[in-house]
Amino acid sequence: MRTAIMIALVVLAGSTGDVLITKGMKQVGEISTVRLTEFGQTLKRILLSAYFQMGVLCMAVSFFAFLAVLSWADLSFVVPATSLSFVITTGGAKLFLKEHVSTLRWTGTLLVCLGVALISLP
Amino acid sequence: MKTAIVLILAIAAQTAGGVILTKAMHGVSASGTDETIWLLAVRSIESPAVWLGTALLIVFFALYAAALSWADLSFVLPATSFGYVLNVACGHYFLNETVSPTRWAGSVLIFAGVMLVSRSGVRAVNPAPVTIEGLAKESE
Repeated sequence: MRTAIMIALVVLAGSTGDVLITKGMKQVGEISTVRLTEFGQTLKRILLSAYFQMGVLCMAVSFFAFLAVLSWADLSFVVPATSLSFVITTGGAKLFLKEHVSTLRWTGTLLVCLGVALISLP
Repeated sequence: MKTAIVLILAIAAQTAGGVILTKAMHGVSASGTDETIWLLAVRSIESPAVWLGTALLIVFFALYAAALSWADLSFVLPATSFGYVLNVACGHYFLNETVSPTRWAGSVLIFAGVMLVSRSGVRAVNPAPVTIEGLAKESE
């Protein structure tokens, strides 16, 4: 039960982090030119974005929950379980970022999720 | 085209970072027995390879975030999972890890999944999806 709760935390915090970071980056706008003066300005805007900061915080929570669960559970159980995050994050992108996820993209994402689960089995 | 280049660099940095960190951390823990976690931490900080591996992972995150500034999350996330396949291959060739048939099967599934996702376009918010090929034509 403790393991299930921790894995849920790893997945949910990670997916939330990804969605928030995307929201922050979309707000800052497309990074296209690589000029040093502009780069400093853009970097400042990214680091000051509240969405970006919350996203990084969520990622950190997810990472430490991952380390914690590894202290008692097997990596070959934890990684396949966390591969669910591919599907959860795609759902989050559709729901909160209004991304259009076509059948093709869903199929690919499911294959990736399955593949990541297989790869981490012993 | 820009998305493809940035994501390929990101995946390369992530894979190289992972391999270098694994090698470095194996060295750190093998260099003594019966040690505390603090000793391990101190020895990790002193290892240049640990710094190099960490720096490469930071490069990965910067490129990943940059790609998210214009591409869909539901595109970038599955696309970067190709790194898992590279990791298996690199673990096999550089770290002499044995790769089970299950693991190779998983790699094939991920490869197929990434191919499908990459055909769905970088940014599919618009009615007409923007594909990598389309972006390449645009920039010509």
